[in-house]
Amino acid sequence: MSLLFTPVIGLEIHVQLATASKIFCSCSTDYIGAVPNTNVCPLCLGLPGTLPVLNAKAVEYGVRASLALNCTVRNATRFHRKNYFYPDLPKAYQISQYDLPLAEHGFINITSEDGTLRPIGITRLHLEEDAGKLVHGTSDGRLTGASQSFVDYNRGGVPLAEIVSEPDLRTPAEARQYVSVIRQLVRYLGVSDGDMEKGSLRVDANISVKCSDGRWGERAEIKNMNSLKALERALEYEIKRHIKMLSEGKIIIQETRHWNDSQGITISSRSKEEAHDYRYFPEPDLPPLVLPDGYVKEQLDKLPELPWDRKRRFKDTYGLSEQDSATLTENRDMADFYENCLISGGSPERTANWLRTEVLRVLNENKMELKDFPISSHIIAEMIVMMDNRKLSNTAAKEVFEHMIENSSDLHSAMSLCDISAGGIAGDQLRDLVSKILEQNNDVVRVIRSGEDLNGKKQKYLKGLVMRETRGQADPSEVSWILASLLENN
Amino acid sequence: MDFYRLSAHEICRKVKSGEITARETIESSLERINSLEKGLNALITRVDERALEKADRVDRMLSAGEDPGLLAGVPVVIKDNMCVQGIRTTCASRILGDWKPPFTATVVAELEKEGAIVLGKANMDEFAMGSSTEHSAFGPCSNPWDPDRVPGGSSGGSAASVAAGYAPISLGSDTGGSIRQPAAFCGTCGLKPTYGLVSRWGLVAFASSLDQIGPFARSIEDIALTLQVISKPDPRDSTCNPSKRPDYQSVLDQSSLKEKKVGIVKEFMDYDIDPEVREALEKTIEVARSEGAEIVELSLPVMVRYGLATYYIIAPAEASSNLARYDGVRYGISSEEEDLMDMYLKIRGDGFGEEVKRRILTGTYVLSSGYYDAYYLTAQKVRQIMTSEFKEAFSRVDTIIMPTAPTPAFRKGELLDDPIQMYMADVFTLPINMAGLPGLSLNAGYSRKGLPLGVQLIGPKWGEMQLLAAASVLERSFGPSLIAGGDQ
Repeated sequence: MSLLFTPVIGLEIHVQLATASKIFCSCSTDYIGAVPNTNVCPLCLGLPGTLPVLNAKAVEYGVRASLALNCTVRNATRFHRKNYFYPDLPKAYQISQYDLPLAEHGFINITSEDGTLRPIGITRLHLEEDAGKLVHGTSDGRLTGASQSFVDYNRGGVPLAEIVSEPDLRTPAEARQYVSVIRQLVRYLGVSDGDMEKGSLRVDANISVKCSDGRWGERAEIKNMNSLKALERALEYEIKRHIKMLSEGKIIIQETRHWNDSQGITISSRSKEEAHDYRYFPEPDLPPLVLPDGYVKEQLDKLPELPWDRKRRFKDTYGLSEQDSATLTENRDMADFYENCLISGGSPERTANWLRTEVLRVLNENKMELKDFPISSHIIAEMIVMMDNRKLSNTAAKEVFEHMIENSSDLHSAMSLCDISAGGIAGDQLRDLVSKILEQNNDVVRVIRSGEDLNGKKQKYLKGLVMRETRGQADPSEVSWILASLLENN
Repeated sequence: MDFYRLSAHEICRKVKSGEITARETIESSLERINSLEKGLNALITRVDERALEKADRVDRMLSAGEDPGLLAGVPVVIKDNMCVQGIRTTCASRILGDWKPPFTATVVAELEKEGAIVLGKANMDEFAMGSSTEHSAFGPCSNPWDPDRVPGGSSGGSAASVAAGYAPISLGSDTGGSIRQPAAFCGTCGLKPTYGLVSRWGLVAFASSLDQIGPFARSIEDIALTLQVISKPDPRDSTCNPSKRPDYQSVLDQSSLKEKKVGIVKEFMDYDIDPEVREALEKTIEVARSEGAEIVELSLPVMVRYGLATYYIIAPAEASSNLARYDGVRYGISSEEEDLMDMYLKIRGDGFGEEVKRRILTGTYVLSSGYYDAYYLTAQKVRQIMTSEFKEAFSRVDTIIMPTAPTPAFRKGELLDDPIQMYMADVFTLPINMAGLPGLSLNAGYSRKGLPLGVQLIGPKWGEMQLLAAASVLERSFGPSLIAGGDQ
């Protein structure tokens, strides 16, 4: 009888909250690229005599994330000290939460492989402070073998929300999806930039494997996965390792393992530093955190429309495809941009097309954020309205669009610089132009009139010439119509 | 001129009226320090030049017609666990080396804003752990009334400075009696305010839920004045009460204790205390009675029975965490070792004294998994019960009178090898910190050997007004505290 193995995965996600200042002092949280140890003060350096003061914004962001994760927010909570020695932790304790986390008992839906929604339980969300960063003088940046180590406390004290999931995930793909949903959510809420590579969203995985014969291996905690891909690969590797061990009848020990991305393996990191008794106890420097009456309700009312709700609405209200709704609601800026275009009069479908193809292409090509996009939603909409009213062809619009991107110019100057006029070429003007083309291509006209252009290829060729001459400013159906009537006439 | 004899009130008045200059008062204090400090060892760091410069600034302000503040030209001594920017802060430990804080404690900033002049940083038990100021990396401090005896602790240097006349006022910190017990041993007044009345920003933490800064002075009037200055709300300390403080000096002219109820603790009346301390206590109760107070006998069994044990779980637990930051990485003494753990062991092994190590070990133990519930959690519950016990007591009385310490100042070395006996020196004071209440030690006379005898007054939470009022009535009978070695 062959054995069946079921992976059981739970994730701990640390999300850096996008507050302007740190969680317990007024230092800036903007540490990326800052000169080491410049965003620091006596408090976040842990100097004797300093005392923490809780940043209300961090609480607000934590509550917002908790509510969006369908958690129950505690009205009264407190902070604990988590004690351990390490040079990146200047007080030798981290102010965190322990028995009374900010929020508990939530869930979030992911889409499983068969397309159905599957709720993943959220055990808790709690607030804590980030540690500083050690820079070791070794080639791999790890402590082992380093002759010198440096500490940068700029990151120390940046607020973190730790989101702990239930062990509800079954596959690496699900784990990946769960993380991307959380990432999308925190970005939507504006509480974090959720950037895994920069480390503002960090994932640790707990994984164990259940065997159909009743054995259930101990769990391993995997760290150091810096991308969604790394997460998936590490879990795949780890599942294989567990299954192999179980198949061979070996005992799996509970341990922390380090993902090595270049080698594609996990390595046990059993070391003295890992064997911790954190000696948690209530932080005496901070009074209990009691949220004012109505605070949670107020935050709930202030929650923006969540991405999945917005996606459904885009489908239902604007008649967009599943794919278009997903793409346009992937991030809040794009969804807002889209709806702003509609407010300015753009038709839902054409606007969706334009954003999904042209705008996203430009963003991707230039690695640009939508907020830095040079053309406003209003101008995009104006262009789309002209297309909707057949005053501007797709081809002409693209030319004008490129011009605006390159020169950051407004629509009308771009059009005049491209020598494209609103309303395009139509009526008598178009008829004259078609006539001119026909005259210049007498031989082709003759072939058509002799009835030899059976599949209409020649006529299409003529139409193409007209369109090129008008530089897309003519309505293609009008061109066809004029062309047909002129060819018939003689 | 012996300006060092003057109270803070008198100095401020005379300086403002132009009778004396701030420089003269500081020079008089420095002279006094020069003549006594060798024997006392009350100061770890002196800042004579800085003090004279600040004095000149006060004098210049006055000649320019500006008001230097409520403490114009008043010399003060600061316990060496409070940060003053640019002045070495040691906590009487080796581990901090010559660390100079880049910021100033709120209390010191408030004093200086009112024209007070810092003379130096006072000797203490290392990290405020001790009751004798013998556990100092800078050597023991002596009692100004008898150099063979201890000044009490941990704020022994601050108490000795005021008793010896270095300064009319000083600041100490009190986690389990560290202001009141040395005040009693040195014959001064010492107030431990309600937890949360005075900002702890800039006070190097020992046990954060118990630590409170307070003043020493030779009169209740000066205690009230100093408290007024240092007890402002401070947004940098989340445990500091944000409400406006009352005018503490307004209650000092209260004429009697008529219609007041003064509690005495039944269990302590049977306690094994020094006969002369007991006499002083009984005398105090008599004075209270004669001033019109009704004496009410109270029973505080939990506090009496479990106070000490509970304290020696909670305070070391918090200390073990608060003192973990001294790791040699950022400041203080440093050491180059191959291995991180070796560095920690070296720094902390060399840097901390025996008593501090003892408490860190105790605290680490009681917080460890498997022991937390039995020790720390149980202690927190007992602390709750003690707090309710006091609350109930203060529904019946306005003030409680009890001894400050079981004995007068003991001899140097006498209890050094017996930590439990040393801990017992705080048996009457530390429950007050556990309940977060204000406590004040007042000099109630002298033993036949000439040692000061203190009594302790306890008030309800935020009850500094009634505490100071009662103390000022009693003080009228006892007279203000004397300067040791001064021939008044």
